[in-house]
Amino acid sequence: MLLKISWRNIWRNKKRSIIIIAAVMTGLSAGIFLVAFYNGMIEQRVNTAIQSEISHLQVHHPGFTNDYDINFSLKNGAAILKQVQADPVVKATTGRVIIKGMIASAAGSSGITINAVIPEQEGLVTRLPGKLVSGNYFGAGKNNELLISQKLLNKLKLKLSNKAILTFQDKEGNITSAAFRIIGIYKTINTPYDETNVFVKIQDIDSLAGLNNQFNEIAILLHSNKTLKATRLKLSTAFPGITIKPWTEISPEIGLTVSVSEQMVFIFMGIILLALAFGIINTMMMAVLERTREIGMLLALGMNKIKIFKMILMETVLLVIAGCPGGIAFAFTAIAITKRTGISFKKFEEVYASFGYSDIVYPSLDRRQFGLIMLLVILTAIISALFPAWRTLRLKPAASIRK
Amino acid sequence: MNNTVLDAHNLKRVYDENTIPVYALNGVHLHIVRGEFTAIKGPSGSGKTTLLNMIGGLDEPTEGYVNINGTNITQLKGNKLINFRLNNIGFVFQSFNLIPVLTAKENIEFIMLLQKRPKAEREQRVKELLKEVGLADKAGKKPGELSGGQQQRVAVARALAPKPQFILADEPTANLDSVSAGNLLDMMAKLNREENMTFIFSTHDQRVIDRARRVITLEDGKIVNDTAPASLDHTLI
Repeated sequence: MLLKISWRNIWRNKKRSIIIIAAVMTGLSAGIFLVAFYNGMIEQRVNTAIQSEISHLQVHHPGFTNDYDINFSLKNGAAILKQVQADPVVKATTGRVIIKGMIASAAGSSGITINAVIPEQEGLVTRLPGKLVSGNYFGAGKNNELLISQKLLNKLKLKLSNKAILTFQDKEGNITSAAFRIIGIYKTINTPYDETNVFVKIQDIDSLAGLNNQFNEIAILLHSNKTLKATRLKLSTAFPGITIKPWTEISPEIGLTVSVSEQMVFIFMGIILLALAFGIINTMMMAVLERTREIGMLLALGMNKIKIFKMILMETVLLVIAGCPGGIAFAFTAIAITKRTGISFKKFEEVYASFGYSDIVYPSLDRRQFGLIMLLVILTAIISALFPAWRTLRLKPAASIRK
Repeated sequence: MNNTVLDAHNLKRVYDENTIPVYALNGVHLHIVRGEFTAIKGPSGSGKTTLLNMIGGLDEPTEGYVNINGTNITQLKGNKLINFRLNNIGFVFQSFNLIPVLTAKENIEFIMLLQKRPKAEREQRVKELLKEVGLADKAGKKPGELSGGQQQRVAVARALAPKPQFILADEPTANLDSVSAGNLLDMMAKLNREENMTFIFSTHDQRVIDRARRVITLEDGKIVNDTAPASLDHTLI
């Protein structure tokens, strides 16, 4: 009966209730969509970083990542690579030589990371051929080929087919230079990355640096992030003395971005819910004040204060729940549409790229977040109802009936 | 056999005790026995509603006590007092009498739900009460769909539902036309006569005063007269 009274009470002032229901719908759908939007943006950033830049896991000599010294190479790199390739959870893997060096042209020079890669395997791990906007990927039979970004190309005032000089220290510490022909121009969504990375074939660097077929980095791309911990453990057990880092450690700024963004999203959500809470409090206070005489009558008849408190609480929660299906439906429809079409920010492409984000965002929402939002909305309703409901506890029947 | 249902002793209600004390009630003694049909009359501000609130447990006296069927309700607080009211006192108010979102049937049933009576018993009693107040065909109507007189009849049925010791009616005919008021009073008189239900009214309405067996007159918070109209000879019309 209490539920019935509460539900019918909501509809005593249809206009007011509809306004609050509409506010709940708007707030909820905006909140859900906002979370999905941020989620999509972050997911893309992480996926791009994993699938195009850093992979799920990277294997190094323990001393290598401190100063990128070419001498810290993986002595059993080939064996590691072989074992990793045989693991069914691994989607693709490749060995690399990473050298800090310099690229120079007649117009200028720039500090860079030289990524010496195995072309076929690199294509599977980072989809490098797919990032070419001009020119060709590494071919067979030709030496000293170079892939460079448009940004760097412009900076050095070079063109496709021009030569650039790569300079770095070899294994003995000698400065080594060689001319490389630009055969392709690549572009990722991460501008800072593009400005500081060039790609060459591992065999070209191997002889120049005197590495004798050794890698100093193995990148591992997994089918799923879920197998990351197990794969890491398996490798560290099989090859003690190597460093295996997951993507969160390789690129801690991405992990940080994820957590900061999650916090940001819930701060925005909090602001939306706070505004909603004030709307609910206002409406319920009006409802309670309008019904002072009626509540007095209920108290006189023998309805105890706890039941009246529950009735007001129930009215508020029902009012909010009434707005939920519409809000959820609207948000889910918007997410479903934009997940397919994407939301384009082409005008701000440069800005997005400078932070490593794509200019097209595909919103996505997971169950945990949806559950959390719903929980927050219901909690907001309950908390908002407390003050109006508490007011009813202070009513005296005789005085209320006279009002 | 002790037929006393209500015994109020030296009831005082003082407002602004610390500045200029105003006595809404000033030493009222009241003894009501089962089956009385009593009207409390008096000019505005004489203390009628205050007295009704005291004996209904809606307000606390500054001094004195109210004993209902052997329980001193002045000592009851919070939910104990609310539960006592629920099970022992029926109320009929002047206005805002019914829960507007519930039908006539639900309004009557509601009070028994608060008493946690079983469903079958509730339904049976609602049916009986609606028949008794002549509204069997209006069970599904909400208060807004009923006339003022019909609403007051539902209120009486609801007041009777918990089988109270007595019914307190605060100006029950104030908003009714003469035909509705007459019908309502006929119905209450019938319940008083046939079921020995005790009614205590606070009223200005001469129609109610004329029908009462006992008329108590209040002035300035004191009972100045407590008598039955001679013509009625203590019997109901």
